[in-house]
Amino acid sequence: MPPHLRTDLPKGVRDIMPLALGAALYGTAFGLLAAQAGMSTLQTGVMGAFVFSGSAQFVAVERLAAGAGAITALIAGIALNLRMLLMTASLRDVLADRPLWQKILGVHMTTDESWALFHATRAKGQTTSYWYLVGAGLGMWLLWLASTLAGVSFAASLPEPRALGIDFAFTAAFIAILRGMWSGNRDLAPWAVSAATVAGLNTFTPMEPSWALVIGGILGALTAAIGGKHATL
Amino acid sequence: MPPFNLVIAGLIVANLVIRLGGYYLGAALPQSGPWARGLKALPGTLITALVTLQLMQGGANEWIAASAAFATAIATRSLPLTMIAGILAIYALRNWA
Repeated sequence: MPPHLRTDLPKGVRDIMPLALGAALYGTAFGLLAAQAGMSTLQTGVMGAFVFSGSAQFVAVERLAAGAGAITALIAGIALNLRMLLMTASLRDVLADRPLWQKILGVHMTTDESWALFHATRAKGQTTSYWYLVGAGLGMWLLWLASTLAGVSFAASLPEPRALGIDFAFTAAFIAILRGMWSGNRDLAPWAVSAATVAGLNTFTPMEPSWALVIGGILGALTAAIGGKHATL
Repeated sequence: MPPFNLVIAGLIVANLVIRLGGYYLGAALPQSGPWARGLKALPGTLITALVTLQLMQGGANEWIAASAAFATAIATRSLPLTMIAGILAIYALRNWA
């Protein structure tokens, strides 16, 4: 066993735990909502394990539950994950000398949390190997999967979701996610453009709502691209 | 039944392409500047668009419950508490208002 695998993998798993426990709350919420939307336990588990991307999963499933077609749900989920291009691009030096299967494993284990931990640990001057990244991702993956499935079981124990108001849980969850994403006044203009675009398209055109959503998101991102001065990732 | 399997399979493939694509495009991708800012802003703007859409499709009860959820989110930054506040508010409005 390579020395980094023996030492760094468990260290990555250990270091990610506080962040993974936070993500597990989202996992439980996702499982609950996926079951509510009509997904089976197997579908929810496969999605959690192989898509392994919280916000894209939330958005795609919400769109399907809202009656959107597969293509628009897919585009919304994909658009949400495009930022990951930048994240794995910044891991080039870690993945470069690895065989293909390890590259695939490494990029699959790259999440917002494992990526941030990896760079934070490196910034502190500590050794950060490939296996540290994989360990951090693995810790996230295990808790994400377990919490997602726990959410599905929890949903099964609820008698009448709509009567309890659980159908509103998607909206409440997205409001909480937005609060977590807010990084200050520089978000104001992009978010306002996005909301105004959706409101306008939905009111004045017969456009399918999911397309309005994607166009609103893109115009908001363009506003950030043109207007912002802070470009650190 | 919504086309869950199709979307799950599509997202699995797309996510792998995006994650591996970032690695292979590597140095060609700018880590700062307009493109990086736009890509980084996309999740927030998409979810803003989604919440806007959900609220436009809801009635007065949903607006009031969303206000309760917003207030809780701002005050606590907690996912479970925000969800509980939103669900309790909509439950109360639908059953007692």
